[in-house]
Amino acid sequence: MTIYSSLPLQGASRGNSEAVNNGAKLALKAVGGKVGGYTVTFKNLDDSTASAGKWDPGQVQSNARKAVQDKSTVAYLGEFNSGATANSLPILNEAGIPQVSPSNTAQGLTAKGLGSAPGEPDKYYPTQKRTYARVVPRDAIQGSADVQAMKDDGCKNIYIVNDKEVYGQGLATVVEQTAPKQGMKVVGNDGYDPKASNYRSLASKIAGKGTDCFFGSIIVDNNGSQLFKDVASGVPNAKLYGPDGVAEDTFADPKQGGIPASIASRVKVTVATLSQDKYPPAGQKLLKDYQTEFKKKPETYAIYGYEAMSLILDSMKRAGAKANDRKTVNDQIHQTKDKQSVLGTYSIDQNGDTSLTDYGLYTIKGGALVFDKVIKQAGA
Amino acid sequence: MEAASVPRQSPRQSGAAMAIRKFLSCYGLILVLLVLPVVYGIHDLSTDGNLIRLGQNFKDGISNGAIWALIALGYTLVYGIIELINFAHGDVFMIGSFVSVSLFSTVGLTLTTGPLGIVLGLVVTMLLAMVVCGSLNVMIERVAYRPLRSAPKLAPLITAVGMSFILQNVGLLWKGGSHQSVTDLVHSQQHVFTFLGITVVRGDLLAVLITVPLVFLLTTFIARSRLGKAMRATAQDPEAARLMGINVDTTISLTFLLGGLLAGAAGLIYAVYQTDAWFFQGFQAGLIAFTAAVMGGIGNLRGAVLGGLIIGFIQQISDNRIGATWTPVVVFAYLVLIMVFRPQGLIGEETREAG
Repeated sequence: MTIYSSLPLQGASRGNSEAVNNGAKLALKAVGGKVGGYTVTFKNLDDSTASAGKWDPGQVQSNARKAVQDKSTVAYLGEFNSGATANSLPILNEAGIPQVSPSNTAQGLTAKGLGSAPGEPDKYYPTQKRTYARVVPRDAIQGSADVQAMKDDGCKNIYIVNDKEVYGQGLATVVEQTAPKQGMKVVGNDGYDPKASNYRSLASKIAGKGTDCFFGSIIVDNNGSQLFKDVASGVPNAKLYGPDGVAEDTFADPKQGGIPASIASRVKVTVATLSQDKYPPAGQKLLKDYQTEFKKKPETYAIYGYEAMSLILDSMKRAGAKANDRKTVNDQIHQTKDKQSVLGTYSIDQNGDTSLTDYGLYTIKGGALVFDKVIKQAGA
Repeated sequence: MEAASVPRQSPRQSGAAMAIRKFLSCYGLILVLLVLPVVYGIHDLSTDGNLIRLGQNFKDGISNGAIWALIALGYTLVYGIIELINFAHGDVFMIGSFVSVSLFSTVGLTLTTGPLGIVLGLVVTMLLAMVVCGSLNVMIERVAYRPLRSAPKLAPLITAVGMSFILQNVGLLWKGGSHQSVTDLVHSQQHVFTFLGITVVRGDLLAVLITVPLVFLLTTFIARSRLGKAMRATAQDPEAARLMGINVDTTISLTFLLGGLLAGAAGLIYAVYQTDAWFFQGFQAGLIAFTAAVMGGIGNLRGAVLGGLIIGFIQQISDNRIGATWTPVVVFAYLVLIMVFRPQGLIGEETREAG
C-alpha cells in the first residue's frame, strides 16, 4: 500500500513541508509501518518548482496523476496550500483516492459559507462524493480568530491585502465580512501582484485611508515578506496581522529572508498550532519525540503532519480487511468520531472538516514565532 | 516609400474632421501624457486642497524611473549601434543585483556598519558589480552576436533570447526561485527631509544621486571623447566608419561594456532600494526598460531616460490610485497610445533605419 504526500519542498514553505513529512513518518513509525497486515510505503512528492519558488499548478496536477496511476495508492496526504488542493482534488476525486490535508484552511474546499467562491465546493468533487478531509480548522474560524485578535488590540480601521489565491482571497472575504460585526471598519481589500518589485505605492494608499491595522491575507511564498516590509514602512503606526500562510520561519527569520527584527515586533500571526503545553500528553510526547528523532525544533505544522497521517492510518485500521480499498478507507475517514489524537479529541464531519476550533496567536521574537495565546471560537 | 502606396485622404472630408485630425496629431500625445496628472491633480485639489499626493507620486516615479532609465540606456545604446535588441540585457542587470547582494557580506556590510563604512562598501560593491556586468555584456556580444553580424537579423535576435534564458537560469540555480530579502543597508525608507509636503526617503536620494552622475558621464563621454565620436560614427554608418580607420569591433564591444556598466549600477541600486533580489527581476525590468527605450525613441539616449522616468511615474500613480493589479495594463496601454500618436517615440529615433 502506498500513501503519497505532495507538498512544496522548495521555496518559502519548504521548512514546514519537511516538518509535515517528518511528522507523518513518525505516525507511520508509531504503527510499525503496517496496518492490518499491509505494509504501508510513504512516498514524498514535491508540488513546487524551482522557478516558481512555490506550489505550481502543473506540478500539483502531475503529482495527483502519479498517485492515480499507481494501483497501490490508498491515500494522498496534501497539499500544503489550499490553492494547490483546488488543483489536485478533482483529479484524485475522480479516482476515488481519499485526500487528507495537514494545513488547508480555505473555506470553499469543503463547504459553502463565508469566504467560499461561487461553484465551490461542488466543482472540486466531479463524482459528487466527498473524498477530502483536513485536520486544521477552516478559514471561517481562522478569520474570526484574526478579527478577534485585532479587536482585542483596539483596531478601528482595517486594511486587507490578499494574494488573489483560493486561500488568500477566501480568508480576506471572511475578515472583510466578520470585522464590521465586531465594530471595526474595513477600509480596503486589495489584491496585489506577487511579481512586483515593491509595494510602496500600495503602502501609501493604505496609509491614506487612516489604517491602524493591516491584515495580509497571503502566503509568504507570494513575496509576503516584501509586502509586510513595505507596508510597515509606509504605515509606520499600523499593527500588522497575518494568517497561517505566513506562519513560517522564512517569514519570521530575517536570516532566511524574512521580515527584519525592527518590524517583527508589530506583527501578529494566527495559526492552528498551539504551544506544546496546550496539547494533551500524547501531543506533548510527540513534539519531544520529534525533537529527538530529527534533532530540530518541530516547525508549526509538524504536529498536523503527524495527525494527517495518523487519521489515514487509523481509518485504514478501522477498515479492517479492506484497508487496501480506497472507498472503504475514505468512508472511514469521514466517519471518524471522537478520535483521541495528539491534537485532542476531534471528529471529521461529512464535508471533511475537523471539529477542532482553537487557533493560536503568535508574535515574533528573535526571528522565531512565539506562542502568545489561544483564541477560542465564540460560536463558529 | 510606403507612404506613396497609401491612398490620399478623401478630399470630401469635412473641415471640422480635418481640424480635429490635425489637432490630434499635434497635441494628441501631450494630451495622453497629461491625462493622469491632470485628472488626479484636480481630484487632489478638490479632496485634499493641495497637490501633495500627486507630488509624492511624482517623486516616487522619479526614483523608480531612474532605475528603469539606467537599464533602458543599455538597450538604446546597443540598438543605436548595431540595431539589435539585446534581450539578455535585463538579465545582465539581474546578475548585477545578485553580485551586489553576494558582495555585501564579503565586504562586511551589515546593518551595524557605520555610515562611512556603508558608503565606502556600497561604492566598492557598485564598482565590482559594474565591472562584472560590463565584462559579462562584452562576452555575450563576443560569443553570441559578433559571429552573427552578417547573418539575417533574426539570428542574433534568437541568440539574444537564448542568452537571456541562460542567465535567468544561472540566477535560478544561484539563489533559488524565491525572492531574496536584501539587508536594508541604507534604511531605504527612512525620511530624509520634507519639501513642500513631499517626503523624500533615503532610497530616493540613492537612486537619483547615482543615476544623475552616471547619465551625465555617459552623455559627456559619447559627445566629447574620441571613442564616443567613434561610437557615433559607427552608429551612423559602420562601413564608412571602418573606411575612416575606426575599429568597428572594438567600438561595438565598448558599447556593450558601457551598457553593462550601467546595468551593474542599476542592479546595485535596485537591490538596495527595493531590498529585494529575484532571478526573474531581470525579465520584468527588461520588459519595462525596453518599453521605456521604445517610448523615448529607441537609439536615443535622452529618450531612454525620459521614457524611464515617464514609466516610473505611470507605475506609481497606477499603484497608488488605480490598483497595483492594473499597473501592467496601464503601462502598456500608454505604450500603445504613444506609439499610435508617435511611432518614432517621444524624442525620435537616431538610427540608420529611421534615416
